[in-house]
Amino acid sequence: MDAALADLSINPLLLYVACALGALGVVLAMPRRGASPAIIGGLIAAAAVGLVALGLFLALDDMAQIPNLFFYVFAAMALGGGLRMITHPRPVYAALYFILTIIASSGLYLLLSAEFMAFALIIIYAGAILITYLFVIMLATQAPTDDDDESLTDYDTTSREPIAAVASGFVLLALLSTMLFRGAPALEPRPGLDGSDAILSQLPGKVEDALLEGLLERELIDETERLAIMDNGIVIDSEARRVLVATGVAPGEAGDIQKSRFVVVPDDVWPDDLIGSNVEGLGLNLLGQHPMTIEIAGVILLMAMLGATVLARKQVDLEEDAKAREARRLALEART
Amino acid sequence: MTLDLLTLAQAGFPEPMAAGTLNHYLFVSAAMFALGLIGFMTRRNLIIMFLCTELMFQAAGIALIAFGRFHLNFDGQTFVIFVLTIAAAEAAMALALVVLLFRKRESLDADLWAELKG
Repeated sequence: MDAALADLSINPLLLYVACALGALGVVLAMPRRGASPAIIGGLIAAAAVGLVALGLFLALDDMAQIPNLFFYVFAAMALGGGLRMITHPRPVYAALYFILTIIASSGLYLLLSAEFMAFALIIIYAGAILITYLFVIMLATQAPTDDDDESLTDYDTTSREPIAAVASGFVLLALLSTMLFRGAPALEPRPGLDGSDAILSQLPGKVEDALLEGLLERELIDETERLAIMDNGIVIDSEARRVLVATGVAPGEAGDIQKSRFVVVPDDVWPDDLIGSNVEGLGLNLLGQHPMTIEIAGVILLMAMLGATVLARKQVDLEEDAKAREARRLALEART
Repeated sequence: MTLDLLTLAQAGFPEPMAAGTLNHYLFVSAAMFALGLIGFMTRRNLIIMFLCTELMFQAAGIALIAFGRFHLNFDGQTFVIFVLTIAAAEAAMALALVVLLFRKRESLDADLWAELKG
């Protein structure tokens, strides 16, 4: 292994110890019959995550690479919420903990300068998808009977093969993070690509506004001309850096080419360094680079809507044993 | 060392992200994915099992956005939009199925459907 690789990577022993510790913690936190030491398990898992954070910190060769302090807060919230979600015996609480995880990951999105996706995540996931889940959880739960007010069902309080599942999950995590820290240290950001520099033709509305505002400020055009240009569409000659202005045309009228003049744009008015916002960049990427995928996503959503409607309106009969249970319940109710 | 605590969101992509910072996000993503996988395997409640797949989607989303930020382009964010789309479609279908299964057996236990063999 070369030196540059070793510099960047977390100590593998530390990583594997942390993974084993995390696995132990998750196993302890799993719901099971009788007392389950969930708090101890959670603490052990938290210690494991802390150990990895320490390892990552020690592996940094440059203090400027340390992530924003909020990263640690959001990451702890996301992982803690995720752990509680997979271990909580009550489904409604599990869904609520998942909402906590969603909110924490939208915080991580904010730290990664993905503002639009952060808020879309909260609106779509926490606001729509999770509420649907909560509705279905409440619909598809047996009402507690009078003799036991503890409505926890057997399949919620016991987990299936916890040790084997946790072991395989954490082996996967150890492998993934080994690849992460050993396999890709040579990864460097692509040079010469700066997302903040807008290419003029990629920011249509913004460029026109900035140009016209600049020209108006310099009194190279007047307000009526600006309105006429905005009505008729701007003609920009980007080679010669000039803008076609139709003089003496009221807003709404078609411009007469005879009455037009070119205004040469001064260098400092020419918007070379317009910065595209996150939403603009995302929208241009979405519609410019991936238009076909939008169509496919639309078809998928349509199919899902149709499928859900067809599935949910289907009448199903109870199976025999369920029918017998229902009959017994009704008889019991009739007697009381 | 400059820790800019006040600027949560930095509009645009101000500067390339260091590989060391990327590693932190990728580890969070990997750990979340592992948690979702463990939950899917251990829980016996059908709804929680589907909730765990959503957790795995979420982990993939964090990795996508972190890589997008690292490479300074928007493809990662665009793909998270599609992940959201698929997650919404999956939630609708899966929950309709779960309601159907619940009506048949009056229970959400996945083990009751163990005789379904592919």
